[in-house]
Amino acid sequence: MAYAQPHPRLSVLSSSSQSSAEHLSPSTSSTRFSLPSAPSVHSTLVTGKPGQRPNIYDRNLNRTRVAEVSASAFAFLFSEVVQYTQKRVSGINDLERRLNTLGYRIGTRVLELTAWRAESASKTPKREIRFLPALMSIHTQVWKAVFGKSADAIEKSVENADEYMIIDNDPPIERYISVPRDMSQLSCSSFTAGIVEAVLDGLGFPARVTAHNTPNSQHPSRTTILIKLEKSVLDREELLNQKQ
Amino acid sequence: MSHHLFLLSPSDTPLYSLTHYSTKPAPSVTSPLASNLPTWSTSAFAGTLTALSGASSATQHTTGGAVRMGGGQDRHVIQMIANASLDVIEDIMRKENTMYLKSVDKFNEWTVSAFITAGNMKFILLHEGKNDDGIRAFFVDVWELYVKTMLNPFHTAHTPIRSAVFDGRVRASAKKYL
Repeated sequence: MAYAQPHPRLSVLSSSSQSSAEHLSPSTSSTRFSLPSAPSVHSTLVTGKPGQRPNIYDRNLNRTRVAEVSASAFAFLFSEVVQYTQKRVSGINDLERRLNTLGYRIGTRVLELTAWRAESASKTPKREIRFLPALMSIHTQVWKAVFGKSADAIEKSVENADEYMIIDNDPPIERYISVPRDMSQLSCSSFTAGIVEAVLDGLGFPARVTAHNTPNSQHPSRTTILIKLEKSVLDREELLNQKQ
Repeated sequence: MSHHLFLLSPSDTPLYSLTHYSTKPAPSVTSPLASNLPTWSTSAFAGTLTALSGASSATQHTTGGAVRMGGGQDRHVIQMIANASLDVIEDIMRKENTMYLKSVDKFNEWTVSAFITAGNMKFILLHEGKNDDGIRAFFVDVWELYVKTMLNPFHTAHTPIRSAVFDGRVRASAKKYL
């Protein structure tokens, strides 16, 4: 009965409530898989009484220094996300829409978390109610929180007053993605567009946000996030401008 | 003195509510409308009517306990006041860029204060006394707890908050500041 005993490495992952000493005892662990990291995993996750399940409410929201995710782990996860989504859609538009929806879920959280980090220490926490400062904070703060760098440019459309663009010369989420020739319209940055859409929605600037490939000679993966604002946003901006 | 807290999602779905009774005494409020109200004790709507008129004295002290009955303490009246204040809050939040909106609305003995997060989540607090600093500190605590709640990937904008830890922490903060 080789499989009567669960594999020691698996058992660490599946039952975190068990004491780590049990896994390390010579009777259960095989010599091939030493587990020096197991106790440290326990000590970092569980604060307070040992054996208690870790709780989000015990965590400090400001601790970001060691909380970064490795780019290769993210690239792997994101490639799985795209593959999973692609199996369930009928076309490129549908695929982009689904990636947008997934990004939206991230965006609502990014917005609240970055706002909390920026404002919770202040005596009078502020919200952004004007569009241009909000766009600037997406370009810098949100990009820094999500990708670790700010975006490369903000542009305003010349033809349409309701269109703005955020430009990233080398989007980190597309770094390890090569789009097949027959799907050349696809931009996986639709995921980023979803994040931007959620942030704008949360701040009260409803908009439709899409991603487009706009390569140039220097930056082959240059991407434009196109923001098309709803009319109500422009009307309100105009009213606020008149008041000043 | 009691406080009533409501957490409303951006689409105004109630996610969490809390009633907190503090040991501080309630300020006595006399309402001119309440004293002129006829005694409709037989009417089925008597409770609601006295509550809406602000006649908290009508049924106060009858139970002899710390919790007042009738008057402004009717659950449905409290909810109505909180919901009615949403119109005022949505008006003000377009113009004001602070998250904490103090005393946005008044109804009989109730003052309504609100807190709007960046993601348009609304915290509404009905209170009787004036306690600006305490209420702000309370809101900031609730804000941190809410941000932690919404970081949970299973939480959506319409999920009622049922976490016992969340409830416990909000109650502890209410005890401390209100």
